[in-house]
Amino acid sequence: MVEPYRDAGDNLSPADFEQVFLPHLDAAYNLARWLLRNDQDAEDAVQEAYIRAYKAFARFRGGEGKAWLMTILRNVCYTMIKKVPSHDTLEPFDEEIHQPLSESEMQEAFRQKANAETLHLALEKLPDEFREIIVLHDLEGLAYKEIAAVAGIPIGTVMSRLARARARLRTEIIAANAKEARS
Amino acid sequence: MNHDEAAKLLGPYRDGELDLATCVKLEEHLAGCPSCQQELAGEQELVGLIEAETPRFKPSPFLKTRIRAVLREEKSSSTAIPWWKRLSLGSTFSGLAGATAVLAILAVGFFSTQGIPELDREAVANHVRSLQVDHLMDVTSTDQHTVKPWFAGKLDYSPPVVDLVASGYPLVGGRLDVLDHRNVASIIYQRRKHYINLFIWPADTESLHGRLYNLDGYHALGWTKSGMNYLAVSELGEKELRDFVQMIQDQTAESRPGE
Repeated sequence: MVEPYRDAGDNLSPADFEQVFLPHLDAAYNLARWLLRNDQDAEDAVQEAYIRAYKAFARFRGGEGKAWLMTILRNVCYTMIKKVPSHDTLEPFDEEIHQPLSESEMQEAFRQKANAETLHLALEKLPDEFREIIVLHDLEGLAYKEIAAVAGIPIGTVMSRLARARARLRTEIIAANAKEARS
Repeated sequence: MNHDEAAKLLGPYRDGELDLATCVKLEEHLAGCPSCQQELAGEQELVGLIEAETPRFKPSPFLKTRIRAVLREEKSSSTAIPWWKRLSLGSTFSGLAGATAVLAILAVGFFSTQGIPELDREAVANHVRSLQVDHLMDVTSTDQHTVKPWFAGKLDYSPPVVDLVASGYPLVGGRLDVLDHRNVASIIYQRRKHYINLFIWPADTESLHGRLYNLDGYHALGWTKSGMNYLAVSELGEKELRDFVQMIQDQTAESRPGE
């Protein structure tokens, strides 16, 4: 779909660039919004990522523009997160709601069909690296190989991290449903 | 494949990330292992839930426009000549460098002496780009009652949208664009194989007072009516564009009181 790109040094117009990268705007915004938790920050990050991508466009060799843009965006987001020290993402582990449930109770709790709100809250509670991998894979449909490139980790790590992220998300959903049932 | 190995691969198996050979081995184990089957079903259920229920955040419609505007500024600050001025060569963007840049400066100088306002040049550049980048329309519809409401919430005014299909200028869609640092509506009409971008925005700072410019074979015809600026841009000949504009003017007059 994407034409092979011209050599570096050629005059690349915003038109060429926009054609490759603007279609990924929604995906980019979604990732930024999940990582930064705030509309304004997410928009700023996406805009910054597009400018950086544009400046580096001469080095882009065609191929999957989405993963390339996400790599840049992810760096922008993490730089922003570090600038905001009050970013307390991890709630203390609540013994009361995480107390062991029997297998059948767990199934029961999970099956109370988590709604959008439950999922939103559960995903918000995950550490950044877990939240990010679920957004990249399950929401934005990036392949393991692409995620490995975006996050700069081996494919094996993508595999194990995604598994842990899903397990943790499941636990959070069960905890939320159990808490709901008790209240 | 033993149970522990298989259990670790259920996620990647669900995600379609295993190679064929591993797939086959896993499926052999899976067939005889109820525990793995249950685990896989649970994984399916969870990912299905994530996909179905997790909110996907949408950017505001202005973000795209803003990014486009910023990219354009980037481009004009990184090279001496804003990219759209190179259009005055009538050339495509490819391979413009070195000697051609010198020509571009000459061409820009030439056109400046013709006194074509920046606004009209920018409108022509937008028109050309909308055709080149395959981004003519944000909303594709021949129905004015679809196109007009599409702009609601994207602009702080409501552009008049009329249909001229009976006269041979069918409405084909609309797009958000940027002109003179503000968001404007562009309504797109078609004439045979040609397109007309009709830019519309409130005439709060400048009125266009009926004017026609010819830039490299493109015509830009502007006017102001009922508090709105209109700028029609197309590669159509002057006569056809004037006909079009006349019809738009007639129609916007008729539909105005009813709105």
